[in-house]
Amino acid sequence: MKILDEKPDALLKRAVRGDEQAFLALYRRHQSALYRYALRMTGSPWAAEEVVQEVFLVLIREPQKYQAERGELGAFLYGVARNRVMKHLEKAPRELSLDVMNTDGSAWNEPEDPLTPMMIAEKRERIEQVREAVLGLPADFREAVVLCELEEMSYEEAAGACGCPIGTIRSRLHRGRALLLAKLELLRDAPRRASAGAK
Amino acid sequence: MMNCEEFELRGLDLDRADADPQEAAAAVQHAQSCGRCNAMLESWREVKGDLRLLRESTRLDSAPARVEMRLKQELRTRREARVPRSTVVVASWALAATAVLVASVGWLQTRHKSQGPVVSSSNARQISNIAPKTLNDDSDEMLLAADYDSATFTQLPASLPSASSDESILEVRMQRGALERFGLPVDPDRASEFVDVDFLVGEDGQPQAVRLHQNSQVMTTTQ
Repeated sequence: MKILDEKPDALLKRAVRGDEQAFLALYRRHQSALYRYALRMTGSPWAAEEVVQEVFLVLIREPQKYQAERGELGAFLYGVARNRVMKHLEKAPRELSLDVMNTDGSAWNEPEDPLTPMMIAEKRERIEQVREAVLGLPADFREAVVLCELEEMSYEEAAGACGCPIGTIRSRLHRGRALLLAKLELLRDAPRRASAGAK
Repeated sequence: MMNCEEFELRGLDLDRADADPQEAAAAVQHAQSCGRCNAMLESWREVKGDLRLLRESTRLDSAPARVEMRLKQELRTRREARVPRSTVVVASWALAATAVLVASVGWLQTRHKSQGPVVSSSNARQISNIAPKTLNDDSDEMLLAADYDSATFTQLPASLPSASSDESILEVRMQRGALERFGLPVDPDRASEFVDVDFLVGEDGQPQAVRLHQNSQVMTTTQ
């Protein structure tokens, strides 16, 4: 059986015994989603990097904290990441980078796109507006939007990751959507109003 | 059919992959008949488009390679620091077994030097089971031997005098009737009496001769 096909619990058992390949398979399977979640919640690549590292250090140092009967490994990892993210949000004011940066700290490069430079700039601006709007949501609502809209998790998966009932997730998402709509409507209408006033 | 309040709560889910098809159909139906809810749905679809742009732009985001390197290093450090549990268990048992073996050998040697060969009385039953059950013609002499104290041993039937000097005396308290199993004639009237008997046990662990005495004697080693 290929290592990629192995179940998370089997991989974890091997990883706990010191099997590096098994650990890396687990890491590579989950790190990207956890990193994006932390990045979207904190707005800071450095904080997101730290969160991912801490999540997997817990897996190495205290594997007994994960109990298979209580849920899937992915949900457990999200839970640990969530705790770290919330601690970070409590301690530090929201960090917003002035420039859009890649995860390695280099400047963000627009992917190859058959759009004109003007359209690319507009698109980039819109993305930045959405990023800002999401980061401006209260943490609980932001989390629901990040998990259900950006990570495209089902309500059940998001509830598992947050450790709360599905109804709570739906309610938070409803409030998050309403706030997001209001923020982005304002942002969208501002240029319209400006152009209308110029006429 | 949905009303506006229900649409606000669940109507915006209609584009989700995990949306309930019936609810989605009801939401579409309501949006077609309600201008306000239809406008909200359109606005939400625009926001969804913007969220999709954000999602696509960060789709390939992942933790930097240095995180993986640090975690690998941590894993290796922990693995090297950890002595396998099985090794500890095996080593402990081996050490304990060696200690017991050394102590036993030492004790046996000490005992052998101070007392010489001794056979435990707990072996008496085993010996009595092994002993042949035969009768010979000298039953009168045997009766004498089994009835009275005697300083000398009486050879048991079907056993030959041993030339070896490695014999032991086994002192046993038993019912007189049990001597019958060794081929010795016993007076039936006194069969239930308890007597002290010395067995001369050969190198092979078989009783070779027997000596009866009324008073218990301290077990001694012959020759």
